[in-house]
Amino acid sequence: MKYLLVALAVLLSALLPGSASAYIGPGAGFAVGGSFLVLFTALVSALIILVTWPIRTIVRSIRFRKVYARSRIRKAIVLGFDGMDYTLTTQLLDEGKLPNFAKLQEQGCFKPLLSTIPPISPVAWSSFQTGVNPGKHNIFDFLTRDRKTYAPKLSSTDIKGPLRTLSLGRYQIPLGRGDIRLLRKGVPFWKTLGEHGIFSNIIRVPITFPPEQFYGLQLAGMCVPDLRGSQGIFSFYTTGTDGNGDNTGGEVYQVNRTGNHIKAELSGPHDPMLKARVGLKCPFEITIQDATSAVLHLNGATCALTTGQYSDWIPVTFKASLGMKVRGICRFLLIAAEPDFKLYVTPINIDPDKPVMPISHPQVYATYLAKRQGRYATLGLAEDSWALNEQRISDDQFMEQCLQTDRERVSMFFDALDNIGRGLCVCVFDGTDRVQHSFWRQLDPEHPAHRGSYQQAAEPAIEKIYRNADKILGETMKKCRDRNTLLMVISDHGFNSFRYGIDLNRWLEENGYLSLTENGRGKKNLAGVDWSKTRAFAIGLSGIYLNLKGREAQGMVDSGAEAVQLREELAEKLQGFIDPLHGKPVIKRVYNAMKIYQGPYKQDAPDLLIGYNAGYRAAWETAIGEVTGQVVHDNVKAWSGDHCIDQSLVPGILFSNRMIHDEHPRLMDIGPTILEMFGVPVPSHMDGKSLQVDGSGQKAIS
Amino acid sequence: MSGLIYFLFIVNSAANTVCGLVFAPIAMFPGWLSITIISAVLGIPLFIIFKYTSNQRALTRTIDDIKASLLAVRLYRDNIAVTMKSEARLMLCSVKLFVFSLIPVLIMSIPLSLILAQMGLWYQARPLQLGDAPAVVKLQLNTASPKWPDVTLDARPGARIVAGPIRIVSRKEICWTIQPVQEGNHLLTFHVGDQQIVKQLAIGTGFMRVSAKRPGTDAADVIMHPLEQPLSAAGPVASISIAYPARHSFICGTDWWLVWFCIISMISALLTSPFIKNRFSA
Repeated sequence: MKYLLVALAVLLSALLPGSASAYIGPGAGFAVGGSFLVLFTALVSALIILVTWPIRTIVRSIRFRKVYARSRIRKAIVLGFDGMDYTLTTQLLDEGKLPNFAKLQEQGCFKPLLSTIPPISPVAWSSFQTGVNPGKHNIFDFLTRDRKTYAPKLSSTDIKGPLRTLSLGRYQIPLGRGDIRLLRKGVPFWKTLGEHGIFSNIIRVPITFPPEQFYGLQLAGMCVPDLRGSQGIFSFYTTGTDGNGDNTGGEVYQVNRTGNHIKAELSGPHDPMLKARVGLKCPFEITIQDATSAVLHLNGATCALTTGQYSDWIPVTFKASLGMKVRGICRFLLIAAEPDFKLYVTPINIDPDKPVMPISHPQVYATYLAKRQGRYATLGLAEDSWALNEQRISDDQFMEQCLQTDRERVSMFFDALDNIGRGLCVCVFDGTDRVQHSFWRQLDPEHPAHRGSYQQAAEPAIEKIYRNADKILGETMKKCRDRNTLLMVISDHGFNSFRYGIDLNRWLEENGYLSLTENGRGKKNLAGVDWSKTRAFAIGLSGIYLNLKGREAQGMVDSGAEAVQLREELAEKLQGFIDPLHGKPVIKRVYNAMKIYQGPYKQDAPDLLIGYNAGYRAAWETAIGEVTGQVVHDNVKAWSGDHCIDQSLVPGILFSNRMIHDEHPRLMDIGPTILEMFGVPVPSHMDGKSLQVDGSGQKAIS
Repeated sequence: MSGLIYFLFIVNSAANTVCGLVFAPIAMFPGWLSITIISAVLGIPLFIIFKYTSNQRALTRTIDDIKASLLAVRLYRDNIAVTMKSEARLMLCSVKLFVFSLIPVLIMSIPLSLILAQMGLWYQARPLQLGDAPAVVKLQLNTASPKWPDVTLDARPGARIVAGPIRIVSRKEICWTIQPVQEGNHLLTFHVGDQQIVKQLAIGTGFMRVSAKRPGTDAADVIMHPLEQPLSAAGPVASISIAYPARHSFICGTDWWLVWFCIISMISALLTSPFIKNRFSA
């Protein structure tokens, strides 16, 4: 635009030398010239659109006349509250604390929504968007194993550097973009809608990174990495001595104070122009004003910091070799200025204004949102629960982060609602999930963390986030008064207490299915396992894999009868497993992937999926492939609620402004239902079925 | 001399002294080079002044809004309501952008006028040259009386009078044509009644400061012709001007030097904008 402006100015000046005498300097010249250019552009584009729009509309009407004729609705809105629990919602509805949800229930219905097996967000939302069981979309957990190394890796996305580089001494010049692949298979139902001329605006639905092309707009959600390519690494700077120890999900830096000044660095991604893996740094300085305030100096800009208050999103530029720059954004939170300085910095998010990775479709949609509402969190798991787990931020500070993220989401969601005429709008809010994960200890007196060092908040956090959801719904309902609008509020799963972690690998070891090498205990990424003597292993949050020949790198179990027998044997033993410390059955049901899944990818699934009983979940160590010395672990982290248990124990919610007659709706039925409501035939490969919605038989909307 | 004219004279005197020194090298360089260097260098401080005299926050908001509206038209192109809403928003933003630039325009108009007037002395016209066709010298009388004072011109030693005086009664003007005879900075001496008034005359081949007019009490004239002291409002002469020849060049020629200044100063500002971090346009 700047260059266009200069070109225009040059042209005008050249055509009219006399007008140059009115020139008042470059800045004002640009501004005044720019204002005329904008006016000119607006008028010309308005004219073009007014001329072409009727033609395009007629063409679309003819092309998609059958779909439009069958359509029962003009607009469908799906408001997703990740992890909103059926039982808790019912309880709060009964207490009159969710008036807008109650109103929606009165208008239409409120039902439990059956999640997937396992009821985990990546799996559940993948089934929501594709309308198929996990055997057809290939997502079975957050994590899967690398078949060559057995190490855990993200199941949904594969991020690699550019396929080709030009080598110049110590430099490597990328030839092309990085190779980023979405591992979720299947076709989202909004793509099918698009093929029939229905526009969709999809905001932050999990497992949509990198975004796929379709007729509509999409901002990617869960699994969008931070600037370092991780799922979120916070930074904590302190002059105190509490910087030692193991910090999961973050890095702690000890800094020195000289007078009122503290110098430190933000850690960025590796220098993409160097062969050696050298991390980029962005220096910053803090000037302490008094006990409650300081000034941040970063990239030539300053920002006032006050204790307990998050800064706005601050752009950060990392200077790489050969003049290349990598841009991100982060928030700063001054926790204490004196006596010990403590500063928390969020993971460095991809800057939505100038994204370095594709986080939206089309790519300018992320920029559009940043221009419209200001910069916003782009990280998949934007709410930094690890900083809370590590007690680097307080309950209130974490809660504020969740609410801030939801506020950003509200802006983009309402903008989409205002801009959609005929079509679908889906927006997923994550705050409900993160807050329940982190504050379930407040609801569960028997939780090991309930009596821990965590301070009990004056207002129950979970109730607060549910009421926030109710407020969002209230505003949404005001925008959905049109009787041709279908409004659905859904969640992917419910919640329950996570009191005890189960080290499945230790259980397998105790029962003779897994062996460790000498000194193998405590090693991450299953690096301590003796694969020549291991028949089964666990990784991720709900699965046990057989060490199958031909599938795993060092497989030892035949995939035929031996595997069948081993699956049954393990399932039987696990279902009978009683917690030796508390005397309760740990597992409600064990699912055989070969029996519950259908589709081309079921061979990649964990062989057994563990449906834990309430109160239990896979231990933190199991998720990352570490074998501990005991099976049952007290969970004393803030992360005290979870849903990685048997699907029957954590139903999600389904509200609709129209009555739905089915007794047991499933998450994977939502897509087919919306297709049906728009008059689009449901693809035969979909496992979900169209629900019986009131108004389905109404006259078509022209 | 009124207070305003006297103030402008003082300011011009200071500007003449400073710019006389700063711009002196112009005489030694080719015109295209000197105007390019001056424009490029001046573009930067002018740009910085804009940064600190404009409401950058409001400009940023408006520019972001413009970009968002343009993108909305593209992203929701099949929704005519969004398109029209965005178009309306764009128009509102263009008005806002214009309004936000008014204050810096007002503030910058003062220094920029002074600078442009000083540059105009060098580039707007070329000096008379030996062998040139005779140039017209015009004296504007400041009298309401039909009886005009006796006026004579002594053009020596720089020039000789070829014709005149010619009196144009309707315009209260007396004109002469003069032929340059000697290079250098000279003075034309006018005897008006019992008063003696001088006007600078530039004759030479290179770049020289050329004052085409000795102004009277018109403030705009005083700003645009800063080199000579304004004539007294109470005196018999309103102004004296010399029709210097135009300089023929698309870079540093008459009028075109301003175009070149616009282009180069904007390019210079644009190149430095990443360092100055100025918001000025969508």
